Amino acid sequence: MAEDLVLDTAIRDWVLIPLSVVMVLIGILRYFVSKLMRSSQIPDPKIVKEGQVIVRARNLRAGANFIPSKSFRARRVYFSNEENGLLHVPKGQAQNAQAQMFSDPNMAMDMMKKNLSMIIPQTLTFAWVNFFFSGFVAAKIPFPLTQRFRSMLQNGIDLSTVDVSYVSSRSWYFLNLFGLRGLFSLILGEENATDDTQRMMQMGGFGFDPSKSLGAEKDSLDIVQHEWALPKFEQRAETVLKNLVS
Amino acid sequence: MVTKTEETELNRLENQVDNGGGGAWEYLCLVKKLKVRRSDKVLKHGLSILNDPKRRSALGPEVWTLYEQVATAAMDCHCLDVAQDCIKVLQKKFPESKRVGRLEGILLEAKGSWAEAEKAYSSLLEDNPLDPVLHKRRVAIAKAQGNFPGAIEWLNKYLEIFMADHDAWRELAEIYVSLQMYKQAAFCYEELILSQPTVPLYHLAYADVLYTLGGLDNLQTAKKYYASTIDLTGGKNTKALFGICLCSSATAQLTKGRNKEDKESLDLQYLAGAALEKNYKQRAPDKLSVLSSALKSLKIS
Repeated sequence: MAEDLVLDTAIRDWVLIPLSVVMVLIGILRYFVSKLMRSSQIPDPKIVKEGQVIVRARNLRAGANFIPSKSFRARRVYFSNEENGLLHVPKGQAQNAQAQMFSDPNMAMDMMKKNLSMIIPQTLTFAWVNFFFSGFVAAKIPFPLTQRFRSMLQNGIDLSTVDVSYVSSRSWYFLNLFGLRGLFSLILGEENATDDTQRMMQMGGFGFDPSKSLGAEKDSLDIVQHEWALPKFEQRAETVLKNLVS
Repeated sequence: MVTKTEETELNRLENQVDNGGGGAWEYLCLVKKLKVRRSDKVLKHGLSILNDPKRRSALGPEVWTLYEQVATAAMDCHCLDVAQDCIKVLQKKFPESKRVGRLEGILLEAKGSWAEAEKAYSSLLEDNPLDPVLHKRRVAIAKAQGNFPGAIEWLNKYLEIFMADHDAWRELAEIYVSLQMYKQAAFCYEELILSQPTVPLYHLAYADVLYTLGGLDNLQTAKKYYASTIDLTGGKNTKALFGICLCSSATAQLTKGRNKEDKESLDLQYLAGAALEKNYKQRAPDKLSVLSSALKSLKIS
């Protein structure tokens, strides 16, 4: 493009700066709202216990060779026998996670609260930006960029002739949405920064099923071959001492 | 675990603070972060901050955690009135807090009013039945009263849920050893070895328990664990060296007249004896005669 576009200073005063300020304020507000709605969860003893059982069984699997085989066998039976082994999950009792989620109103409630504090402000601000500031250039970045950045920086403007270094208002909104984390961690303290991207990832990883991991742990414990490592240690101790004495 | 660099940093800061160089708050933060027990210093420097209104207000909301830290340190040093004052301030600020309730319980414990402390913990546990600290405090109460069977009972109840907590297993093992319940102690040490297979101290303690239990099988196993301790410590553990010698002579006595022992384990015992002698020669030459007579009585040297 031969000539530069001239941006009105009113755009800076009435679009660029207000948009950023509003995004920051909404972030802070959301932090306090979610803090208000956060309920202290009392963990379910069964789930805590299952987690601990898994850790202990994993330790047993990893360190099996360090204890005598008699002790190992006793422990394995304790964990994986078919009657009352800790890792044995009776059939039918294994709930699936979805059902559990619906049976436990607290869980659904928590999900909803999380969504409330995340999705509602986002949709509202997006609608607001779309309504008032759609379709014009709001800023120019001081260096040239390649065409590939067009979809990132000029969202909402379908002109292929505009130089890529111009930023549309809607793109400015997205940049703010994802780029203000550093600022939030300054304002609200390290851990408190509301991190949208991370939360979105968490949403995907929902639905952990403890009984499944118990079963998996049992299977892998069943196939462990116990080979006592200690007899080897005698020889190793001998070499250590030989080096020490000589 | 405290790493070496962290420890040198801590000592440097402590030195600086002790000599009036400032940085008390950083020191206290580091102590809290590393969870080390230097109660006297924490009490001294923490109080100096708390008694200075200007420095206290400079901390902002962090001051409450400082109150907690100082209260705990004060109870450790048996400055109960200081602890009481700190807890009173916290109580005023957070009237409903369980964390403050816990501190009050510990204060009752420090005063020696066991029944009241127990009552406080029970009521706290009703609200939050899965607070590991409260369960551990109950064990501590039983232990402080000399009620070891009670402590074992509480610990077992605790371990039924939190079975991956190796510190609790260690505590249980030590209580069993003190009550001479070696079989149970051996189980606990096995559990510890499983959770941290490379800590030589657990191997050593397990070997000790097995040696104390006696019997040919146990003695041979004990010897193997002494050997693994030697391997893990690079032969620097004197107790393990002695353990090898004692195990060998005990097994030799048990198998006297029966089949000849294999040559290798004999080697190990002589090597252990030689390492001991070398060690004594370097560190305590005047005790060398005692050592050699002891080894002679074990028919090693």
